[in-house]
Amino acid sequence: MEKLRKAWWLILIAFVALYPVTIGGKSAYWSGVLIFAGIYIILAVGLDLLMGYAGQISVGHAAFFAIGAYTSAVLTAKYGFSPLLAMLIGVLLSGTLAWAIGRPVLALKEYYLAMATLAFNEIVITLIIGFEWLTGGASGLRDIPSFSLFGLVLNSHVHYYYFVWAIVLLVIASAVAVIHSPFGRTLVAIHSDEVAARAFGVNCAGYKTRIFVLVNVYASIAGSLFAHYMGFIAPDDFGVLSSINILVMLFLGGIGTIYGPILGAIFLKLLPEVTYLVQDYELLLNGVILIVVLVFMPKGLYGIFTMVRDRIFAGVSK
Amino acid sequence: MREHNGEILKVIDVVKTFEGIDALEQVSFSVKKGQIKALIGPNGAGKTTLLNAINGIMRPDSGHIYFLGHDVVGLSADKVAHFGLSRTFQLVRLFTINNATVLDNVLLGAHMNLNPSLLESIFRRGKVGKIEEAARKKAIELLEFVGLGGAADRIPTALPFGNQRLLELARSLMTMPQMLLLDEPASGLNDTEVEEFTKLLLTIREKGITILLVEHNMKLVMNIADDIVVLDFGKKLAEGAPQEICANPEVIEAYLGTQNTEHGAPR
Repeated sequence: MEKLRKAWWLILIAFVALYPVTIGGKSAYWSGVLIFAGIYIILAVGLDLLMGYAGQISVGHAAFFAIGAYTSAVLTAKYGFSPLLAMLIGVLLSGTLAWAIGRPVLALKEYYLAMATLAFNEIVITLIIGFEWLTGGASGLRDIPSFSLFGLVLNSHVHYYYFVWAIVLLVIASAVAVIHSPFGRTLVAIHSDEVAARAFGVNCAGYKTRIFVLVNVYASIAGSLFAHYMGFIAPDDFGVLSSINILVMLFLGGIGTIYGPILGAIFLKLLPEVTYLVQDYELLLNGVILIVVLVFMPKGLYGIFTMVRDRIFAGVSK
Repeated sequence: MREHNGEILKVIDVVKTFEGIDALEQVSFSVKKGQIKALIGPNGAGKTTLLNAINGIMRPDSGHIYFLGHDVVGLSADKVAHFGLSRTFQLVRLFTINNATVLDNVLLGAHMNLNPSLLESIFRRGKVGKIEEAARKKAIELLEFVGLGGAADRIPTALPFGNQRLLELARSLMTMPQMLLLDEPASGLNDTEVEEFTKLLLTIREKGITILLVEHNMKLVMNIADDIVVLDFGKKLAEGAPQEICANPEVIEAYLGTQNTEHGAPR
């Protein structure tokens, strides 16, 4: 049983490694679908650390996704920076900004915190639209170069796919390390009962700020990856609707599990590939599927996954 | 004001008003190092408010509270905890989110000792794991000490209420405190459990940990308290050895003169 649990990681890595040469190999398009899924996994896993573990709601998770994307886009397309350097600058900028706003914003609770994060998302979008000379404003920013790594340009979908998924796996591994560490336990304590946590010496504001910095560094990296893959970005990609989309991935997959939001992100990114077949009813069908999952499977897709897995293992051990 | 006469905790003229009602009126008392001091009084006397003021959950309007020589008034609870003060709660406050186990709860008591770092939890997992392993061993010992040896992997809310209180005690002991504030730790325990619990508190005192105990169970209080302070409607009514308190007419009046007799008068 324990071996099978560990093997689950190997299966995941093997699938990711083999995907482009098997299922995804049919066309660049199918690699692309999983590149998008990977980028959203980075966002959803981060939001799960913040919401599912530390218990701090965010309705503006796309804000730092935007900051990462625009930092990369502006620095590479307009000022000729190397993509890797631009990404690192984005990470530094996002980390610093998250650290600066983390303490005052996370002092708020529940609805007020939701409103503040939503407002921050709107402010970021408004600033992007306002600074048209720098960001291209509402009509977007084009000619963002492909990612390159030490002179090697990752302009084929398959190369970029491997690059993105290497980062996705690192993000997942680091998030899992955090939740299984004393740091993760402290986050859960803050989530459960801040007053009690404080009585045990937990500096709640400090811990909330630190996890806020980490998840927004993730979001910034996701933004950089997104910008270089798209080649063209516009404010619409990073609005509150996008933030809500990430929230849906969390609840759909199963919040507070890390693996759940991974499934949620993949599911939500693959769903249109199936529902486009019914064309006019696509949005309707998406909505119905979401409602059915949320109402009848409160533990989300991961809940179904663990139930099926446990059944199979129970069968095997008999 | 430094620690003197072996006083570990000194409360001086503490006042707290909630919306015009005096919850604490100029309360002063002190606790000597190594003793078990009981804080008693009818419901609504301000006992929990006083504990909250001592450990920094609530800031008093005026007055001073010295713990090991530090003036803790105005400090947040996490800072006070770092001086070596730990507590349990009247309505248990255990960590229950994300399937946190009984062991996880005790391990949170090691927070100040582990002082977890985000970067180390990602990049130095070996080091973190080693320290965690030692904490885990200690946590299991403490669970055995309070009589919850077999419950490490259970969900705290699945435990009987009395056991949840014992779990809170183990969590507090995990912080390696100088002093424990216990808020009605024996409520919800049956007679045999109270007896076990009495032994437990005496063992804790033997380890050199000072205890300030809010308790309604008079048998328990009279059995183990070295010293008692009585609160009534936010005022200190009496302070002294158990025999003196029992004989104090004002104390008897406060207990019998109110309708609040379900916990029994001092005997």
